[in-house]
Amino acid sequence: MHPILEQFLDKWVWPTMPGAPGADFRLRLTREKCVNGWEISLQRTLGEIEEELASNDENWKKERALRGYAAEGVHMSIKQMSGQLLSVDIADQERYIDLQRMRARQIWDECKHSKLHADVLLGKGWIKDERELMDIAQANTQPLPAYFGLSMMFPHIHPLARAAQNYYQEANACIGIMAYLDRVDDPLVRHEHLSQRDEELMHFMEGKFQIDFLCATAETQKPVEDALDYLLHQVGGIR
Amino acid sequence: MPSLKIDHQRCTECRMCYIVCREIDINAVYVALEPLHHIEIDLQKCTYPGCTACLMYCPAEGSIVEVETGRSMVPPPPDAWQEA
Repeated sequence: MHPILEQFLDKWVWPTMPGAPGADFRLRLTREKCVNGWEISLQRTLGEIEEELASNDENWKKERALRGYAAEGVHMSIKQMSGQLLSVDIADQERYIDLQRMRARQIWDECKHSKLHADVLLGKGWIKDERELMDIAQANTQPLPAYFGLSMMFPHIHPLARAAQNYYQEANACIGIMAYLDRVDDPLVRHEHLSQRDEELMHFMEGKFQIDFLCATAETQKPVEDALDYLLHQVGGIR
Repeated sequence: MPSLKIDHQRCTECRMCYIVCREIDINAVYVALEPLHHIEIDLQKCTYPGCTACLMYCPAEGSIVEVETGRSMVPPPPDAWQEA
């Protein structure tokens, strides 16, 4: 196991609230499925970083910032948050902490992400102000159908499917951020990642908590397993 | 008994601790009214070390500390969650 993943597991995954009714389920899924997917994702990220660093130019930083802006810009974030809220009946929304949090905090957080990517583009002199990004298609196109599109993020059949997504997918984000912080010295790229670290980890914790406390029966575990199987299938047929 | 407090130099005010504490109906974590609406822990309600929920789901390293020892409890050290 890569030391970055091992560090993530030891700090944030294995510590478990004694007596949490769904914790055994979460730990089993983690050992049987998630760790393998996280390792694959980390190796891919490390490979990308090596390629980027070997390129000997800064274009990859621009590409990453534009892609990040598209994925997490203000308009995409509001669409994403609205979609998630609207996909769950109002009467059920109070049961799920990630939905409660969207009203209170999440849109602000997501909009902050876009500012971090804009900071790189501004700091490097690739744009003069953020408004220029409205005219750059790459900063406004979302090519990931499974993440923000119809197949995962938008119409969750059950809110606990998103708990699985938060747990599995946000861990990938956290591990990827750890990899960049481990390998890249550029202060602006580090800023882009470092400022996002705690926020992505918070989403992971939302998933961890909801699985630990809400997934104690076969009925509540099924949406988590279904979503996880789908996400793992995407990264290379892991079952 | 040992007790917990928030280190406001490290806390990001994400309020995971507040939500978790409320969800398990202890309600020891609250938002202080003045002056900056920081998260605080009501030691009269907190049952630490009996409950360690806030420690298990806090994402900001070092942001919850043990009052008596000053020890960082995030991420939770093994003695906070492993049986002796």
